[in-house]
Parts: sequence; C-alpha cells; structure tokens
Amino acid sequence: MDKLPEDATEPRWTTGSPTLHQITVDIAAPMEGKPGRLWYACFTVSVALLLVLLATATYLIARGIGIWGLNNSVGWAFDITNFVFWIGIGHAGTLISAILLLFRQRWRNSINRSAEAMTIFAVMCAGLFPLLHMGRPWNFFFILPYFPNQHGPLWVNFRSPLVWDVFAISTYFTISLVFWYLGLIPDLATMRDRAVGKIKKLVFGILSMGWNGSHRTWSRYEIVSMILAGLATPLVLSVHSIVSMDFATSVVPGWHTTIFPPYFVAGAIYSGFGMVMTLLILTRQSMNLQRYITKRHLDSMARVLLLTGSIVGFAYATEFFSAWYGHDLYERYHFINRATGPYRWAFYLMVLCNVLTPQLYWFKKVRNSVAILFITSIMVNIGMWFERFVIIVVSLHRAFLPSGWGMFYPTIFDIAILVGVFGLFFTLFLLFIRFAPMIAAWEVKGVAVDQAHTAGHGAEGGHRG
Amino acid sequence: MAKILVATFPDTDHLLGAVRKARREMFRVYDVFTPFPVHGLDEALGVRRTRLPWVTLFCALTGLTTAIVLQGYTNVLDWPLNVGGKPDNSTLAFIPICFELSVLFGGLGSVAALLLRARLYPGKTAWLVNPGITDDVFAMVVRRPSDDETHQRALALLEECGAASVTESEAEL
Amino acid sequence: MERASPPAPEYWQSVDEREHGSRDRGEFPGGLPVGNADDKRERSATGGGDPDGDHTRRDFLGLMGFGAAAATMAACRAPETKAVPIAVATDDMVPGVPNHYATTCGGCASACSLLVKQRDGRPIKIEGNELSTLFGGATCATGQATVLSLYDEERLREPHWEGKPAAWHDIDDRIAAGLDDVRARQGKVVLLSTTITSPTLLAVIERWRKAFPSFRHVTYDPVSASALRAAAAQAFGRPLIPHYAFDRAKVIVGIDADFLGTWLSPVEFARQYARSRTVEQPAGLHVQFEPGMSVTGSNADQRVAVAPSQLGAVAAALLARIAKKAGEADAAAPSDPVKPAILDAVADELWKHRGDSLVVTGASDTATQLVVLTLNRLLGNVGKTLDVDRPSLQRQGDDAAMAELVGDMESGNVHAVILHGVNPVYDYVDGEKFKTALSRVGLSIATADRMDETAAAVKAVCPDHHFLESWGDAEPVAGMLSLSQPLIAPLFDTRSVVDSLVRWLGEPAAHYEVLRDHWRTEVMPRLSGARDFDSFWDQTLERGVLELGGAAPASGAAATGGDWRGAVAAIQADSQRAPQGDRYELALFESVAMRDGKNANNPWLLEMPDPITKLSWSNVAMIAPATARQLGLSDGDIVSLATAGGASVEVPVFTQPGQHPRTLSVAVGWGRRQVGKAGNHVGGNGFPLSSLVRGARRMWAEVTIKPTGAHDKLAEAQWHFSQEGRPIVLETTREELARGGEKPEELANLWTERPMGERLWGMTIDLNACTGCSACVIACQAENNVAVIGKDQVQRQRIMHWIRIDRYYNGSEDEPRAVHQPMMCQHCGHAPCETVCPVLATTTSSEGLNQQVYNRCIGTRYCANNCPYKVRRFNWYNYTDNPKYDYNMANPVGRLVLNPDVTVRSRGVMEKCSMCVQRIAAGKNASVKTGKPLEDGQIKTACQQVCPTDAIVFGDLNDKQSRVHKLASSERTYRVLDDLGTRPNVSYLKKVRHGQAT
Repeated sequence: MDKLPEDATEPRWTTGSPTLHQITVDIAAPMEGKPGRLWYACFTVSVALLLVLLATATYLIARGIGIWGLNNSVGWAFDITNFVFWIGIGHAGTLISAILLLFRQRWRNSINRSAEAMTIFAVMCAGLFPLLHMGRPWNFFFILPYFPNQHGPLWVNFRSPLVWDVFAISTYFTISLVFWYLGLIPDLATMRDRAVGKIKKLVFGILSMGWNGSHRTWSRYEIVSMILAGLATPLVLSVHSIVSMDFATSVVPGWHTTIFPPYFVAGAIYSGFGMVMTLLILTRQSMNLQRYITKRHLDSMARVLLLTGSIVGFAYATEFFSAWYGHDLYERYHFINRATGPYRWAFYLMVLCNVLTPQLYWFKKVRNSVAILFITSIMVNIGMWFERFVIIVVSLHRAFLPSGWGMFYPTIFDIAILVGVFGLFFTLFLLFIRFAPMIAAWEVKGVAVDQAHTAGHGAEGGHRG
Repeated sequence: MAKILVATFPDTDHLLGAVRKARREMFRVYDVFTPFPVHGLDEALGVRRTRLPWVTLFCALTGLTTAIVLQGYTNVLDWPLNVGGKPDNSTLAFIPICFELSVLFGGLGSVAALLLRARLYPGKTAWLVNPGITDDVFAMVVRRPSDDETHQRALALLEECGAASVTESEAEL
Repeated sequence: MERASPPAPEYWQSVDEREHGSRDRGEFPGGLPVGNADDKRERSATGGGDPDGDHTRRDFLGLMGFGAAAATMAACRAPETKAVPIAVATDDMVPGVPNHYATTCGGCASACSLLVKQRDGRPIKIEGNELSTLFGGATCATGQATVLSLYDEERLREPHWEGKPAAWHDIDDRIAAGLDDVRARQGKVVLLSTTITSPTLLAVIERWRKAFPSFRHVTYDPVSASALRAAAAQAFGRPLIPHYAFDRAKVIVGIDADFLGTWLSPVEFARQYARSRTVEQPAGLHVQFEPGMSVTGSNADQRVAVAPSQLGAVAAALLARIAKKAGEADAAAPSDPVKPAILDAVADELWKHRGDSLVVTGASDTATQLVVLTLNRLLGNVGKTLDVDRPSLQRQGDDAAMAELVGDMESGNVHAVILHGVNPVYDYVDGEKFKTALSRVGLSIATADRMDETAAAVKAVCPDHHFLESWGDAEPVAGMLSLSQPLIAPLFDTRSVVDSLVRWLGEPAAHYEVLRDHWRTEVMPRLSGARDFDSFWDQTLERGVLELGGAAPASGAAATGGDWRGAVAAIQADSQRAPQGDRYELALFESVAMRDGKNANNPWLLEMPDPITKLSWSNVAMIAPATARQLGLSDGDIVSLATAGGASVEVPVFTQPGQHPRTLSVAVGWGRRQVGKAGNHVGGNGFPLSSLVRGARRMWAEVTIKPTGAHDKLAEAQWHFSQEGRPIVLETTREELARGGEKPEELANLWTERPMGERLWGMTIDLNACTGCSACVIACQAENNVAVIGKDQVQRQRIMHWIRIDRYYNGSEDEPRAVHQPMMCQHCGHAPCETVCPVLATTTSSEGLNQQVYNRCIGTRYCANNCPYKVRRFNWYNYTDNPKYDYNMANPVGRLVLNPDVTVRSRGVMEKCSMCVQRIAAGKNASVKTGKPLEDGQIKTACQQVCPTDAIVFGDLNDKQSRVHKLASSERTYRVLDDLGTRPNVSYLKKVRHGQAT
C-alpha cells in the first residue's frame, strides 16, 4: 500500500507486529475457543427474532398479505422498503472486497471477509421480500422464463424492472457467494491443517479442495480474484441502479426521476458502510479482535460514510430543486407533501440521520470514539430505512387523482416482519463469525509482512496486492 | 516418482533469494509453497502470465449471447404481446439482463477454469510438502540432482540461502 | 319433503308457452312433481300446455329454479333432487345461454319495468325494460340490488305460526278460523300495506271489502307523500300525486325534494332531467333549497342551504312574489328566510318561464305542499309540467289514516290485521307503541319475507314471494301498466300475497288466474280496440309494459286552488319558531343506498358508497364544518341526538360541506335490529325522531347534540374531496362551446403504432349528464361478481368496486359545488400498468382492451402502484367463500347470484374493469351466429345499460358512424391525465355550467 498518512502510523492496520503464526492463532481463536458472553447474548436475541419472522411469514402465507396495512392507494410499503434496505446493506460488502481490492486499498484485508459475508446474508434477507410480498407466493416461479411451462408458451415481460431485479439479484448473490468462498479456500486449508478433531479435519478437508499453497495456484488465484473484483464492481453498481429503476421507470410522482440510479447507489454504499461499521464494532468487541480491526479501519469507514452521506444529502436537495424547477404539477405537490404532509416526520428523521449525522465525522475526535461511531452507525441504518419508506409510501399515498389518495398505517405484522428479518441476518452473521475464519488470515499475513518491511528497513511498501 | 529436495525458509526474503539463486545455478525449481501469495515470485520463478482472462471474456460473451437470444426469442419471436403499446423489440429494456448474464457467466466461468487448471476440487487430499505451509512456513521444492556432487552443491547453496531445513522426499511431478 | 320427488317422465319435453298452445285450455295433466298442492294448482294454472303434454316456461322454471335451490341446499333436501334440473331442458333454454324476460321491479313503489337476465334457470342480472316510456332501460341502485335480496339466505323458508314453522294448510286453517270468528263478531279487519301499485292486488282487496263490511285498507309508507296528497286534495279536490315532467321544465325549483336520488320516481325523473339539460338545448336553470347536500342539490345550478323549519317560508316567499306578478291581490308577504335577491331572481326566472317551469317540494308539511301547488298553478304549469289527470300512483301512504289505525288497534277496535310490505315496529313514529297496539289485535298476519321487527310480533307470518318469483302487475302512473312474471320457482316455501288473500277469502283461484282474469275483465277493455285476449296477453307479457292510450280519464281534478293564503299564514307562524342555542334542527332523509330500510340486509347496498358522503356501512349525522369546529366534533365522533320528546339516535358525525349550519342531516333506513346478519345494528335508526304534525309525518325534529365520547371508524370510499387544482374534472360554458373549445394537441407517440384489430372499444362519459346516482356501481358489481368486503376492509381503503364515482367539491365549504366523475379502468393504449407487470398478466387486446389475466397474476401490485387512475383492485384476502367475509359469496344461496360468465377472483390477484368483456364476446358471438354485422349500441356495458341519464356510451371508436366515435371527437371531449401519454380509450365530456340565478 502507499505511504501511510503520518498521523496514522499508529494505530496501524494491525497493531504491533505479530508473527505469522501468531496471526493464524489469533484468527483461529474464535473458532477454536468458546465465544464470549456478548456473543451468546446477541445470538439468543437474534434467534428469538428469527422465530418471530418464521411465525409471521407462515401466518402471512396462510392468510394473505391483507394482514399488512397495505391498501388500494399504497400497494407497497414495508415489504419493498425492507427489500431495498437489505439490498443496499449488501453493497458495502462487495464494495469493500472488490472495489477496494481494485484500488489496492490493502487496509480492507482484515474486514473484507466479514463484509462479504454480510453482503451474502443481506442479499438473502432482501431476497425474502419479493417472495413474501406477492399475492400468490406459491406461483413465484411464473416470474422465471422457464420452458416448457403448462401455461402454454407463456414467457415473462422483460420490459418489467421486476424481471430485471430477478436477474440482477440472483447474479449478484451468486457472484458474491463465489467470490467469498474463493477467498475462504486458503484459510479453510489453514484450519484443516490446524484441526485436531476428525470431523473438523474432514469438513475443512472437503471445503478447502486440497489447497496446498503452491505458488503456481496462488498466482492464478490472485488473477481470478482480480477478475471477479473487476466483474463485481460494475455488478454492484448495476444491481442498485436496477433496483432504483423499479421506481424510476414508473410514472408515479416521486418515483419517476432520472437521478435515482446514482442516488440509490450512493445511498446503498452509505447504508452498507453504516452496517459494516455496526457489525465490526460488535465483532471486535465480542471476539477480541481489536488488534486486527483497528481504530484505523473505523476511521477510514467513517470517512467513506461522510463522503457518501454528503452525496445522499446532495441527491435529496437535487430532487427538491428539480421538482421546483421542473414545474410539474404532480411532482411539485409530491415534494411539498413530502416535507409538509402527514409523513413529514419520516422525512425529517431521514434528513437528520442521513444528512446531518455523517457531518459529525469531520471531527477526528468523533472518528476515534468507538461509542459514538457505534451509535451514529445505527442512526445511519435507521435513516436509510426511512429514506426508502419515504420514497415508496409518501409517493404512493398521494399520486395523481386526489380521489385515490389514502394513508398507510403499519400493522403489527408489518413490524414483526421488519424486526424478524434482523433476526435472520444476525443469526447468520453470528454463526459465521463463530464457525468460519472471519478475517482473511492469508491476506492479513501479507499486510503484516509488508508492515514489517515498511517499519523495519523503511523500504517503500514493495508488495502490491 | 521423482526424488525432490524440500527446503523451508522462515521468511519471504530468504525464500526469494533462494529461488533466484537456485535458478541462476541451473537447479530445476519445481514449485514454491507459501501461506500467502508472495510477490516477486512470479519473476523469480519465471511463471508465464495465466491465460484465464481469455476464458472470462469467452464466458461473458456466451452470457451476452444467451441473454440476447432468450429475450429476443421469447418477447419478439415466440409470443409477441402488446405490452403498453411498446414495440416487441424494446431493445433498451433488454440491456440490463444482457449485462447481468454476461457478468454471471463470466464470473462462474473463470472460477470453474481456475479450479480445473489448478486441479482443485472438493475432497481432494492436499499434497503438503510441509505441514506448516498454510501457517507460516515457506518452502521451495527442487529436483534432487541425480549425481551426488551436484546434490552436495545444492545442499550447500540452500544452506547459505538460509534454509531452515532441507529434507528429501519423493513426489509425482 | 315432497318437492324432492323425482320428475315423472311426461315432463321431459317442454315448449315455451309464448310460442305454443293457448292458455285457456286450463290445467295440463298432472301438474308439476315439485311443490305442495297449492304450488301445483298455481303452476298448472299458469301452464295450460297442450294435451299432448307440452309444458310451459313456468314449469321449466319451476324445475330449474327449484333445482338450483335444491342443488344449493343439499343440507335440507334429499340429494337425488339435484338431478332434476339437468334432466329437463326446454327448446327455449340452452344451458349457458341467457334469456331475458320482462317483469316489474319490486324494489320500491316506483315500480320500474325490467328486463331480467335469466341464465340456467335463475335470474342473475336486473336490467331496465327499454320499451317503457317512463323508465326506459334505466334502473336505480336499489333495483339493481334486488336480485341479491332474492338470494338472501335469511329469508323465511316457510310460514310461521306464533314464531314456529308451520305448514301452509295448517296456517290457512287457523287464519280461516280466525277470520270466521271476526266475521261472526262483525269485527274490524284491516289490511295495512305499503303503497300498492298492482291493480290486480287492489282488485283482490276490493273483494275483501265486499267480504268484510268493516274492512279497511290503510296504506302506510315510512317516508310518505301524505302531505302532498293532502295538499292536492285541497288544490284539486282529490288526493293525488301529480305526474311530473321535468323534461318539459326549463326552470326547476326544488325545495328539499331529492327527485334525482330518492323522491317518488327517481329513475324516471333523472331521465327527464338529463333530457332537459343537454348541451343542445337552451340553458335551463335548476335551483335547489335544502338543508343537507342531496344528489339533486349536488347537481343544481344553484344550491341554497335552508333549515327544514324555513323550507315552507321559502315556498311562501316565492309564492308572494309570483302572486304579485300574477296580480293576485293581498298576497301575504312573509319575511324572507334567505337572501331576498336570490328569491327575487328565482321568482323572475319562474315568471319568465310560465308554463315551462316546475316547483317541487318533498316537505312533509301540507301547507308547504299547498303553497307549492299554488305556485305551479299560478305559473300555469298544471297540465304542462305536472299532470293531474294521469297522476302518479307511486306513493299513496296516508299518515293520518295510519295514526288513526294505531289508535283503533290500541283501543282494541281492530280484530284482524294483515300487514303487507310494512314494518312499522321499526319505521313508525313510535315503533313500540305500534307493537303494543299490535298485541291487542286478535289475529295479526304479516307477509314479511323475514322475521323482521314487526313479523316477530305477529301471530302468523305468511312469507310473500320475492317479486322475481312471482306473477304480478303494476300501474305506477295512471294508464301506464307493467306486468311481472316469475324468473325462478320459489326458492323457499313461500306464497304470493295475492294467492294468500284470495285463499283466505275461501276462493280457490291462484295468483296467475286472478291476474289473467283481472286483465281480461278490467285492463283489456280499457284498451281501445281490444283483440283476442291470449294474443294480447302474450304480447304484453313479452313486452312487459302496456300504455293505455286515448284521452286521459277525467280525474275530476278541478283546480279549486285551496286556501293557500291560510297556508302561507300557517307557515309564517311555524317559521318563527326556529330552534336556537343548543337546539339544532335534524333533517331526516332517505339515502340513495338504504331508502326506507327494506333492503337493509343487502350487502351490495350496505357497501355502496353514498353518492354525497362517499361513506358505506353506516348512516351519519352530516354536520356543517363550521358547526363541527364550534362543537369540537370531528368525523366519526358518535353523538346522541335527542328530541324533547325523548326519542334519540346515536350516529357518528361527518362534516359535510354545504350543510346548513343549524341543521344536521341523518339518513333513515339504517339501524335495523332484525333484518339479517349483514344489516343488523348498522348505523342508527332515525325514524323515531320524526313526529306527526297536522296529520302528516314531519321528517325533521329539534334535537340537542350530546357527544357520547365513543368514536367510530367511518368506512370512507374516498378520503380527499378537492381536486387540488388538477385538471381532472373539466368544466366549460356554453359561450366557450359556441366559440369552439380548442382541441388539446395529440401527444407524439414514442413508438411505431402497433397493428390492431378492426375494432377499438372505447367509452365516453358525459360529466354533464352524470348525477352521481351510483346505479352503475351496483350494476357493475352484479354483472362482474365484485366481492363485498365489509366495513373493516372498506375502512382500510380496500373497496373492490370496479367503477367508482369520484366526487369533488370546489368553492367554499358553506356553498360548495359538487362534481361527480365515474372512474374505472381507462383502458389506456399505452398502459403504464402493463409495462411493469413481470409475468405479462395484463396486456392490451387487439381491440384495445386492457385485459387482466387472473390465473397468471402473482400479485406484485406493481400495476396498481403504476396506475395513475388508481382503478385496480387487489384481493388482499380470499373474499369468496370465506366465513370471515360472510356476505353473499359465503353461502350457497347467495352464490346463486354470481354471473357464470365472469371468473370469481381468488386471493392474491389483481382485478379491474374489463369493459364487460363477456358482453362484448356475447355480442360478437351473436353477430357471428346470425351473420349480421355488429351494430353500434348492440353491445352495452352494465354501467351504460343501467344509467338513467345515458351518461355512459360504449362502442367501437374505429367505426366513424358510431355514437361513441362522434362523442369522443366532440369539442367537449377530453381524456383524464392525457398529458401522461397514457392514451385512454375512455374519454370524458366536460361538464357544462349553467347560469346562476343571482
């Protein structure tokens, strides 16, 4: 990596200069030892929420989506809000693992693994909603272009953004999964070779595909990682652009906007980094990995939040400006309604969390205080959820014909699904940090060696990765 | 079966030195085994740049074609319908899926190619020249010279390159 | 039961009675295998097939209808009967092909002529009979819904004696015995009935008069025109209701008469009204004085809010002015209750249009009615815009006679009472009083179709047929007759009232015979040039309507005038006592959906949004916004309205623009206690707050308002009433039209035009004609199996109606102007909903229809979100056959009303207006079969067919000669939200504002 900013020589990407073996031991520790109380606490809560999700989803499919607060005016609300929210969360993972890899930001090394895991789990959560929100989920397969089908030569409508979604999300999930697994292989091999138990040996043996650290493989492996990164980067941008087109290609005032794709991508990265921040702080505290997830990492993520948060704020302003400048009767009314209508509280909450909060990160003090970072990162998550809520519900509840205006009031089941999905997400994540190497050991070793070099005989960071 | 010498090193610098030297001295370095990708080894070993990117390109193009054919066939040829008065061939609307499928095929293709080329597959038992490879050991593998005199020279060379240990063993090369 | 016995073989061939055999051959051998003995006789009488065993449609219907019922009531009937209907088919009937039969509506006393669609032996859709000069092809919401009342599973399934089921012969014996006893004691027998328009039934009643010297027939209407009749008695020397001709009137002044919604004969009046106000005609003027906004008021050129106590004063003030102009000396000049300027202007207009103006009032005060009749007399309208020679017979209720009867009953002077079509325990001024009075009557009989409030209090309940099960006739207007014929055999063990009355007189004849005899002896002679009765009968039965031409019979209506000066004085005295302070006036009125409450168990009507308030599933106390603010009340707060007399009603308040600030309006007909699971305890009963004043039932009261603290979530179908300055309902003026309104420029098409079929189905809706009466809403519901979802779901804004009537206000909240806009799927050429559907479940047909494929839909609801008109409806739950939504679709009897041509939608799919695609298909099939090309107007959508004002026109836009094409290319035409580029095939004709009288 390039020269460190002088203010940041300490703390570094890894604190102290642990030996390679030490790194292995540290990273393997969570999987070999018993996790702390905090982990168990989190896990219990998550599983409880997961059960709430399962129960509600079952009832939902049994009775029908009438149990939600939806109505003739507002056909989408919490369901699609959650969908967009979770997709957005996913994006930071890919960004950290792929884009930072391309940009040679090696500081990503100790966080990219968990970030990717987060991506995969988030996309899984997001993927639930297109299914759950359907009137007839058991017919979900109608949306796939399969042949032959008993409905005659009946195909799907490739003009519909929902079909684009299906392709985008499934591609995104597949590529992220493959990328993540590929990165895991060397560490799985490490685990295999450390493993004592028979089962562990067997499992890791199968999963690590006979990895033996041959350099010929290493060099191909790195090329392919680069290729995947190169593919994943435009992919992640395309996915949220397409999600934004669910709205942008419609005629609904407040949806029908050309700035949605970039605006959504920025928002996604922003929310994603917020979530990464939350998770990493939880992890490093619960798994004692302060040494590898240093304040330096948090600091850099805070900077990213500051940047993307400001972009998002700018997008909000642009929307209002173009509504005023565009002179469209309905568009204008929508934005007046957004700021002064019955849902204005949601709008102002969103502005507070997404535009004002990140501005705190201008101050180094803030960026250095884990506590504040943790709280603000949660505020970021809340804010971004409400951004989607505002876009979806506020646009729908007062569209073109005033006779069709109405209100959306969430029911207990809306809430249950909302919180339940967090249960699913955290359960998966907690299991991951417990049972898989949650930090890319082999990459950290690389960084450690480099640091040894830069610190030792001050040679410029010779190694590039 | 061929006889080989496995020399292990504590760190990358010695390893690199050893590799360079060994090849200068015309020893046949079979391969190097490391816990993480050590850079500079490519040049040192003189490994040719992989052709995997071409595989990616090919797969991506396949994906693109699939997307075009799928959408063209279903929405234009097989059963055109009047959807909001839009033309059967709404080309612009077909672009997103073209992109997605290219990426999907490209990505899966390259990974598959890698696993094939590196002969990695689930359940394969790893051939480890040294148990510490995946932890902190760097190992260089050279063919054991047939004649005794060169063999001694090799040992001496490895010695001075700071090999932590040199062991003889046999392997399928 | 005996109905269940299998058919004898000889009934296997059947022939339509209208084509074969003469009727007077008497009984055909045997009679039908179904029904009890009485049924048999009646049936066979109707039949009269040839000796070779031909049968009549009636027989076939007997089997079919019974079969339909049997099939649905396997629970209580022997299973083998299910096979019966399938075994029988007449050459007149092809399974799956509907027939239409003329009959007469029994929904209310207006007695509209109908043409009912009957399919597979059951009536499934009510349509108007276009041969009727009074009503044309039109009907009202209530009429449309009566077919559902037929399939109400809570109708009585057999007669009851003292609350317990009993067999007919048993009941008849007991009643006969009872009557003999009364006859022996020369006791008093009274028939208390609602308005009877059937000449035959009246003839039967005459027989009773002969049989019992002390017999009395009292006519009672909960909402009567008693005052009008009384006034007419003074003015014309005879109690009558003039037959109004709004189409001849250029200037119409309505004083609290909702003649477009509920008053006397709304369908007929709405047709006339629309005809008189087309753009082609010179501008007319309609001024409405009323306390609360009514359908009529919402259509008036000028509406003036007036407290009920001041309505008489308005009439008097007008009369004073007109009298002066007419040179009537010493015309008392009472003080003006409203701005004199308005009254002056109105008077001038009226005077200017002497002879082609019309003043009407629904006031329940004889004096006011007399003043109004005098106005018309002085204006020379009598014989021009109101006809007293051929009067209307549609509301003959006599409040005074009723009061007297109740008195007699209380004092035990009545020994036998037969209640027909009335429910006084619920809707009389003092229901409890009537109940106790009833208990003093030795023999009390009700013909109620259910155990309602009154039926529960009588000895014998002898359920009458539903009118769709029964023969009958009607004479709504003197000389205008209409026949009824059954479209289905009685679903339950009921008996027509004529049948019962005749039988209790000990005469054997059955309804059908009585009817035919009456027409042979009474009606045909009135017809100039009488012919052979059978052909006359068959033709009339087929046409359904008969107009007795020739000169109007001298009704003996001499314009004696009456003491109108006295009336003015009386009014003057009354109007001085307008309640002040915490005492407000309460105006009771009939709502379009519930009317007088007879159909209160009809889910369609219960869920029909009120044309004005857009509320369903409850009546409310409409209150002026200012008054509500002043009293700190907001929508849904339940208040108790109590009179000094102690009568009270609890209803939620609803702030209603245009409401008179000192007046609340509450609809009667709600708050039934014993009508059925759908209608029980829905809203509050306003009837007890009315009172008897000078022999007429006053439909307003002085009340105090007391908030109960309780709150009710109102089931609103529309939440926002302002157009927010958006170009949605466009208005124009005659001047503008004369100048030739500029056409909006066609938006460029982004894409090449797609190849389309030869036809392009389209629709135009004339906002100038639409009165908002909402008949189309129910017609669509009946035609398209639209689900009823109940109060909770409506309150959650999930109402399923495919066509809704949007109602917007403009102007101030005190003097708002209302516009009504029917809104349904606009069948866009470039439909936003289609592009976004992932599974191609909605696409455009080659004939321009936006079609919804239910079995392909997975319910993403993206289409609904993207529909600018918000006309798509989603099945949030399974609304059919679901005990949670226990309306007609949840029980086997109620399901009989479903239209087999239209899919019943399942849970989780989107639905919307299909432009009655099943009717289009039927029309095209017909033209293919006959080889004749489709003519314009041959296919009519349900909403178009029912519309009294002909506001909706459907047809082929590609056919340059078609009406719809001509209208769609008129300069009044515009398309809603056209600037979105949706290219709707439905276009609207701008509303034309008439002048105002100030």
